[in-house]
Amino acid sequence: MHIPDGFLDLSICAITYALTAVFWIFAFRNAGRHLSEKQIPLMGTLTAVFFAAQMMNYPVISGTTAHLLGGPILAITLGPYAGLISMTIIILIQTLVFGDGGITTFGANIWNMGVVGVFIPYIIYLLAMRIARSQKGMYVGAFLGALIGDVVAAMCAGLELGLSTLSFPYSVSIAVAAMVAHHSIIGILEGIITVAILSILQRTRPDLLKLPKLSPSWLGGN
Amino acid sequence: MVFVAVGVFLLSNSAETLDQVAEQFGASTSPLWTPPIPEYEVPGFQGNLALNMAVGIVFTLLILAVTIGIGKGLLLLKRKA
Repeated sequence: MHIPDGFLDLSICAITYALTAVFWIFAFRNAGRHLSEKQIPLMGTLTAVFFAAQMMNYPVISGTTAHLLGGPILAITLGPYAGLISMTIIILIQTLVFGDGGITTFGANIWNMGVVGVFIPYIIYLLAMRIARSQKGMYVGAFLGALIGDVVAAMCAGLELGLSTLSFPYSVSIAVAAMVAHHSIIGILEGIITVAILSILQRTRPDLLKLPKLSPSWLGGN
Repeated sequence: MVFVAVGVFLLSNSAETLDQVAEQFGASTSPLWTPPIPEYEVPGFQGNLALNMAVGIVFTLLILAVTIGIGKGLLLLKRKA
């Protein structure tokens, strides 16, 4: 889902940079106030793990491949602000070193994968936990969060491409439909992997799921 | 390390949905930056699995260090404030 340079109009790039900057400001300000010594090694390890996990491409449909994004697990274990910071570091290195994603489209890529791909799964996970206060609720929330987060992130990418009339001469509906069709399948796989990782953490290190979350106050954070 | 090894040796073929959609609709890239390791392969050593794996491991460790560094920096700012 990494959009390269040239795919988006500069106006769309500017808008997505501005939207993402608002979240960056809140995320770094919150982390600056509430990040604890105990959370740093976990944040570093999970960021490195999901960078490596994104190198694993598995086949999906019509000859395309997909990889785990990791946003849902980062958000569930550390909170969405920490997830955004982690995804920013991953995507920055991927852009500058490996050319995976563009510089003008960096704001859009962070918006899709680091904001939408992190906050939507977390909100759905919290809602599911409030409705069903059980382990089953946690897994259902994590699965649906990962699936819907992936689909909404793909919709955003499709919307950005569709609105870029100078660079991408196709309508919003065509671009969104093309992205969502594939990412529905990818989202199911992201959901399954998210639940699997969560289940391993629940069995082996349940303490990691109980750490304070770097999250906005309207999502239960400080 | 397991992710890097599996990714490089078994699942290294990448064909992202976005690239396929773009190709289908005729959009083209116009890169502003020439990355030092394009497509996760060292120029001149394409297909060298051992080198690609080493690159993957080095950058995974670099990301670990960068994230911990940023975390420590934020903690330092918190203490000063």
